[in-house]
Amino acid sequence: MRVRITEYLDIDLEREFWCCNRCGGDLISAREPYKRGCLLHERDPREIHKPISDHPVFNYSFDPDWVRIIEFYCPHCGVMVENEYLPPGHPLTNDIQPDIDALKRKHAGGGAS
Amino acid sequence: MTSLRDQIKLHEGLVYDRHAYGKGPGWDPELIVEKAAPLSAIEREGYDLLSDVELEIFYHKMLTIVEEAREVWQNLSISDIILAGDMSTAVFTPSGDLAVASTGIHFHALLNYAQSKFILKYYRDDPTVGLRDGDIFFFNNPLAGSTHAPDMFTAMPVFHEGELVAWAEVGGHQGDCGSVSPGGFNPYATSRFEEGFHMAGVKIGENFRIRKDMLDYLCGSVRNPFVFAVELRSRVATCLRMRDRILREVERRGPAAVSGGLRRLIDRSSELASDRLRQINDGVYRSILFNDTIGAEKGLVRIPVTVIKEGGEMTILVQGVSPPNGKGPVHATWHLVRASQAVYLFAYFFRGLMPNVGLFEPLTFLIEGPSVANSPEDVAHTEGTIISAAVVQSFHIIGSKMLFDSPFRENVSAPFSRNMVALVFYGSNLFGYRATGITSTGNGAGQGARFDGDGEHSTGFYWASMTDAGEVEEFDARYPFTIIARGLLGTDYHGFGMYRGGSALIEVSMAYPNPVVMTSWGTSDVISHNPGLFGGYWGPPNPRLTITKNDALKLMAEGALPELTHHSLAAERQLGGDYAFESSSVNPKEFEIGDVFLCDTGSGGGYGDVLERDPEAVMTDVREGMISADVASRVYRVVYNEETLRVDHAATEALRNEERQARIARGKRFDDFIGGWLAQKPKEHLLTYYGDWPDPRVPGYDKPFWGEHD
Ligand SMILES: [Zn+2]
Repeated sequence: MRVRITEYLDIDLEREFWCCNRCGGDLISAREPYKRGCLLHERDPREIHKPISDHPVFNYSFDPDWVRIIEFYCPHCGVMVENEYLPPGHPLTNDIQPDIDALKRKHAGGGAS
Repeated sequence: MTSLRDQIKLHEGLVYDRHAYGKGPGWDPELIVEKAAPLSAIEREGYDLLSDVELEIFYHKMLTIVEEAREVWQNLSISDIILAGDMSTAVFTPSGDLAVASTGIHFHALLNYAQSKFILKYYRDDPTVGLRDGDIFFFNNPLAGSTHAPDMFTAMPVFHEGELVAWAEVGGHQGDCGSVSPGGFNPYATSRFEEGFHMAGVKIGENFRIRKDMLDYLCGSVRNPFVFAVELRSRVATCLRMRDRILREVERRGPAAVSGGLRRLIDRSSELASDRLRQINDGVYRSILFNDTIGAEKGLVRIPVTVIKEGGEMTILVQGVSPPNGKGPVHATWHLVRASQAVYLFAYFFRGLMPNVGLFEPLTFLIEGPSVANSPEDVAHTEGTIISAAVVQSFHIIGSKMLFDSPFRENVSAPFSRNMVALVFYGSNLFGYRATGITSTGNGAGQGARFDGDGEHSTGFYWASMTDAGEVEEFDARYPFTIIARGLLGTDYHGFGMYRGGSALIEVSMAYPNPVVMTSWGTSDVISHNPGLFGGYWGPPNPRLTITKNDALKLMAEGALPELTHHSLAAERQLGGDYAFESSSVNPKEFEIGDVFLCDTGSGGGYGDVLERDPEAVMTDVREGMISADVASRVYRVVYNEETLRVDHAATEALRNEERQARIARGKRFDDFIGGWLAQKPKEHLLTYYGDWPDPRVPGYDKPFWGEHD
């Protein structure tokens, strides 16, 4: 059975696997951070948030010295599952670590998600 | 089976479940970290007197009392920040716990208990102070439980035939507190001794009246004595109205039923909060934000949040925080971080449940100290809300991730904007008296995008569920400046996504009819505290802009002032003059008549993948000026006719598929990506106040995910 955990992430409970909600493709074991099963891309934030003023620093965009965008894509369909805005080189966020055993107990008996 | 909470490894030598400072004159942090007090004699006597139905009716009665009090205060006040709703009115149990709160600032109501509990423990039986019917108490000391010195709290005990049956309390932001800087916010303060007067549970009145000597002392300590005096009287009048109404309930139901009923409301909220938690998936959830200022200087500061949800309980762990720096006012306290979470919890996560301290009972807060989140005693505190709100923003993201697969998905959203640039003005107003305070245009922050729709524009004040941004004409009269333009248009100035963030209310004001002193504080000048959710892009940074030696007055005289928007000023420099784009944190400075200021509190983050936004919604954004043609095609990948704004759906789908393929082509597998990523590091001068890189508390941390220290 598949349980939808976020906008873009399902968990296949029998196989204990993170899957893409859009294409159904497998990402990685549900006991691992799903980000390990994604494709990752680092962006200069100004590619998305173009500076509004011409000031070199205070221009209503992000300063790439301070922050970069990391985008996480489904390797099968290319949907953007999540992103992070982090200082360059900062460790990533293991943002969702569901208690898989508790999740299985909750859905034991085939209840709908 | 090991509990999830057992996985938490706290660092030795740091404190988590209490403050990083000890007892002092007027404060006792041990009292502040306690949960709701055990039942007192009168609370126990009356606990079961009301049936479930009667309790419900009693709650609604009490709610009308605090809501009426809110209106009383707003009708009597002449302080803009109170009129705009930066305030709360509440009823507390005889033991001093929050039982019923108005729709104002919930976190104020969650701080006020510190005062009553201190009075009960230390002053009630002290022959030089005592606690009697008609007493009026006042506190604003951050160490004693306040937010920062400009947040001021007034409390009155409610006695019935000599027995304490409840407390009537109000809290709200004040225009000035006698700080070195007008308005109380001084980005350059290095210790609390530069931040104005600090009073902790001081008896300022007896026999239902404010003492003249105390009123003179307080008014003599601030820059806006007229406003302050009116304000203090309106607070006391508000408490008196609540007292009258509570006593009417006491006469109707008996004192024990009222006291016990108030206490039971707390337990009821606690049970309902646990019930809701049990319907949410167990797990460990994380989110992290960084701040870009310590006040006077730019510098990277880390604020990570981990939430462990298990059964009917939840632990909020703030660990791996940058150490205190003692160089600026961006230091929060343990109680401020805890209370601030009501902003998210009461309005979203626990929406629909009775907002009182009971909702906090199933929660455990572990806030690492000494740190910028749980600061030591003598640092400056005024901008500690930057830190506590950063925790709220992360909690909001975490909460949305918890609630998506739950019966409460309707509460899933990106957070409210918290990218502050707060302009604080000081000068003479049109009435001729001195006024100071923050412009409450800050109350028009943009909402984060929701799971099923765009964020609302100009929704309200970050801290409160019901606020107003004030009337322009009233501002012009009461504040020492004049608003020359106000609107929503901040082109490309929100978070993009399948659903976009809401835009801030943007205010353009002018020093007129007198010169003014203006200082400002804030955060998010080069980074942001407005995260997106599930792949939505973030709300952008928000630095300060002032335009001096400009031609606005001349254009106004000629009737030729164009429509001023965020974009037309910042990008096109529509007015002539000197443009100063700078950090939000600037010391007080004098401005000449005609100088112009741009103010807003930022826009919300987006929700979901931009490639999934309805192309017609993208066209609406273009038509309304919310986004540029460039963003429509470059970010949203919509193909359309630039004159008619007609979408070519087939070409759009093809272009979007092309971008999805491009993502797959450029994206790297985790193992191929992570080494190169972790080898980077911010420039050394950005890390002066950070602590060890990348984990401020764990030298040499080298794991790919944060928060996994041994
Ligand atoms: Zn997919």
